[in-house]
Amino acid sequence: MSIFHSFPNLPGPEETAFCKLNEVYCCGNARYGNISTFSNATKKHPIINVTRDLHHHRTSDENISMYIDVEDNLLKKITSVWYKQGFLEALSVAADPSVNRESPTLAVTASYILKVANILTAFRYFLQPHLKDIGPKIVANYSRTRNWGQVPVKCLAWHPHTTKIAVATVDDNVRVYCSEVTFVSTLKCKAQGHVSSLNWRPLSASELAVGCEQGVIVWTVDPNLMFTKPSSSNAVLLKKNGHSPVTDVSWSPNGDLLISCSGADTSMLVWDTAMETAIPLRRVAGGGNVFARWSFDASKIFTATSSIIFRIWDTKTWTPERWCARGHRVVAACWGPDNILLFAAKGEPMVYALTTTSLLSGSQTTKATPALDVTKVELSSGEPVGGPILDMCWDPTGRYMAMLFEESHLVAVFCTTYIMMQLKIDPCCFVTGVEDEIPCTMAFQQNFNDGACLTIAWSSGRVQHFPIIYSESY
Amino acid sequence: MDVTCDIFSKRLIISVLWNIGLQAVIAVMLAYIYGCYYVKPLPKYFTRFSMFLSLFCTQNIIFSILYALSGYFTMSLYSSLAKSNFNTLKKICENYDGQCLLEQSLFLQMGGMWMGLYYFLNAHIFSPTTLTFPHIYQDKFQQIKLAIHSILSCGFKNSIIPVVYYCIFYYFWGHKPRNVVSDVYGLYLEDKPLDNILNLFGSGIWIGLWFYTSLFLISVYAMRTVFNIVLTEPMKFPIESSKKLTLHKAIAQKSQFNGYLGTQDLKIMSLTDTVRRKEIFTLSQPGGHPRNWNNLLQECLKIVNDFSKELDSINGDMKPVEIEMLPKRPGSSITPKSTLYTGNLRNMAYSPQLHELKEHNKNKSEDTLLSAIKEEFNILVQRIRQKPGISYLFGELTDTRLKFLLMQAQPVMWTCEGLAFIAAASLKEDKYGVVQTDLPIVISTLINLKQNLDKLTKPGLVPRKHILNDSFALKMKSALLSSVKLSIYKIVITFSKYIHEIPLDPDVQIAIQPFLICKEA
Repeated sequence: MSIFHSFPNLPGPEETAFCKLNEVYCCGNARYGNISTFSNATKKHPIINVTRDLHHHRTSDENISMYIDVEDNLLKKITSVWYKQGFLEALSVAADPSVNRESPTLAVTASYILKVANILTAFRYFLQPHLKDIGPKIVANYSRTRNWGQVPVKCLAWHPHTTKIAVATVDDNVRVYCSEVTFVSTLKCKAQGHVSSLNWRPLSASELAVGCEQGVIVWTVDPNLMFTKPSSSNAVLLKKNGHSPVTDVSWSPNGDLLISCSGADTSMLVWDTAMETAIPLRRVAGGGNVFARWSFDASKIFTATSSIIFRIWDTKTWTPERWCARGHRVVAACWGPDNILLFAAKGEPMVYALTTTSLLSGSQTTKATPALDVTKVELSSGEPVGGPILDMCWDPTGRYMAMLFEESHLVAVFCTTYIMMQLKIDPCCFVTGVEDEIPCTMAFQQNFNDGACLTIAWSSGRVQHFPIIYSESY
Repeated sequence: MDVTCDIFSKRLIISVLWNIGLQAVIAVMLAYIYGCYYVKPLPKYFTRFSMFLSLFCTQNIIFSILYALSGYFTMSLYSSLAKSNFNTLKKICENYDGQCLLEQSLFLQMGGMWMGLYYFLNAHIFSPTTLTFPHIYQDKFQQIKLAIHSILSCGFKNSIIPVVYYCIFYYFWGHKPRNVVSDVYGLYLEDKPLDNILNLFGSGIWIGLWFYTSLFLISVYAMRTVFNIVLTEPMKFPIESSKKLTLHKAIAQKSQFNGYLGTQDLKIMSLTDTVRRKEIFTLSQPGGHPRNWNNLLQECLKIVNDFSKELDSINGDMKPVEIEMLPKRPGSSITPKSTLYTGNLRNMAYSPQLHELKEHNKNKSEDTLLSAIKEEFNILVQRIRQKPGISYLFGELTDTRLKFLLMQAQPVMWTCEGLAFIAAASLKEDKYGVVQTDLPIVISTLINLKQNLDKLTKPGLVPRKHILNDSFALKMKSALLSSVKLSIYKIVITFSKYIHEIPLDPDVQIAIQPFLICKEA
């Protein structure tokens, strides 16, 4: 008997789930229904719908062929290529005899330099084969968002103290939606490409860290200013050689340190963002660091590498404890209250819990135990659910946990209780999309007082707020 | 043959040992003087003239001599290790009867001295010698491991420029020291002179010089790195102790090295150390006074208030400066008598503080001849200072005062954050309500500092001579501002439910409103 069979039934064919009110699973008509008939808790929440026409045009690799060539003189051409695509591309333009007809000597020199450069890069890839994957590929490979490169919403992040959400869209702009104001600020600058992660700084109203291909961009968006497009002077790009592409950024809960991870770098960087200095935390075994998660009290950091190794860092001494997952790398992990950690490995339908117990003698033991089996099953309605885990989220109070699966289009929400050192996971409900929508990424709101509010970005560009409301009296 | 070789190698070993011994002595002296930089508070230089004078202080002169000696010994050590004969100035002539000068060895040894001086100029004169504490402190061995790569690459890269300088110098003036040396020792010159470009390049000695310089720089960088790593290690100060230096006393040694360590420890303790926090929240056994907390708070407030005051005086530079600065005592700015805590916030250790009686002893204006002369003299000095050449030398430089202030901002940041996190922790850990009595003063102090900092960023309000154009100081300013905001946010968010029960000044109450609704950028 799988845990999924004790979930409430899925909503009917024309219906969709809106919220859960004190154990009542509220569904309504997908087209005409409205969440406000059930609850006012999300009335002031920003309505987000990322449609295609919102996107700004961006010259990417796919559409660059659409532009018509303009005959420029050679020098101008080379400099513009150099400016846009780098030195090596400029060299290849100069070496290309079909483009460069004017000065054959330059073409010959350029072709020789290009040959030397190619040999050097080949040698470099021979030494460090993991760098061969170019930036977006690495990010797409390690991202917890389904189809990271194609879906309208790449990632989202709630502000820790107010009702404010940042959404990274497919055109690599970051939009900031606020509950009080109707306008949307769009954060955009030249360096911001292939956004992989977002994180708001705790104990601050305005600072947002954006992990992108070149490094970390820290935006300072003054909430009192009514700019729909803040200038890039509000952004600080933090980058370091070899630390690219950044696959994850996370602030310490104390708001003072920022950790950035790159799937291609064996060291993760601890930034002091104001002084723009970074201290690398380097451990070679396991390859690149994919993501890091701070525990609630900032005493521990979980980091997952691109191999089976993961680490728990102690932030007093900055030394790690090394763990090995069984079989595959860790795809998702989340901390809960009392320093309990849930994690899941890639391709495995199992959630593990890592608990630290203090013994009477003062020493601590940490052990990992299987907490939940989510093997793929078919529900009575024929919908498949379960299987390998794509992403997990735990709400800040530690009562609800949401899960995305690689092979299922449902979002499963579980109730979690942690009493007497025992973690208990019970079924809560499913969230389904309208028509053929697929959930891409999700996040719990950080300051929701009535319970928990799960925000899900669907493949259609719709962003749904799914409140789970409980009152203490109930 | 065998015997001569044996004697040679013996001599070689002895010379190497001597060199290493001398090196060690010099390293110890260097480290001592290097350490002295940080024990004293930063000196103030606001004019070009005082900056110029400060170049010739005894410390710098001793330092330069030591570095030059160190460079010289390093060169001769490495060249003797390499089994070349470049560590002796003399050799037996091949063509004449007598001794000849080995110019390469002169070139190398003078080069060594130059490298020492060059490093000294670069590291101590042309760049600020402030000790930067890393924001996280890893294991020493780990830090050295991480630093090795950059030390090596920097050593080889940075040694190119001084070698080029030295070669240029030798090309123009190389004949002078050569003549002096050969005159003094009565040596002949047999080889082709090195102050010719072709001969210099042909001899290949510049490669040796570059390599040895790199090694010298690497050893100096390594020394400095290790020194910094050991110096910046966080230290645990006890809260209460009769023998050791306690935390509040360490913090009291402001702008000295102990002050840095103390404030850093305050922050670390406020974040991680529950045991010592508990000690702060306890009451003294006979008497029941929160002595630990009061001592700590007094020192912390002193640091923050002093800094605010300095900022304020910079901000109000254009306006007539208020002469009478009331010493701010904790509790004197609020009126605790009328506003008592109500409601949920515990209040057990509350003792109304006495108002300090202010003494206004008005200065009687004395119209004496002496004061008149003094005034005249001051006016004269002012007028002379306005003259172009003199104002260039003696006039106050732009941004130096603000920069000087911001360079010392690190302990202030740690103090603010430490205070805020202790206050936040007190909500759950403070059994006697020790900290809560002083919350208003903590909040108003932080708000005051924030307002003074805000004035700096407002365009048009800052006098032109305080506009910063130094990137380090600019970063320091933004770091300070963000840490002050973080501290206020921490307190306000933690106490958001009870914030209306804390007796605050109306001004402060208004100032924390944007923090309450998360609207403060």
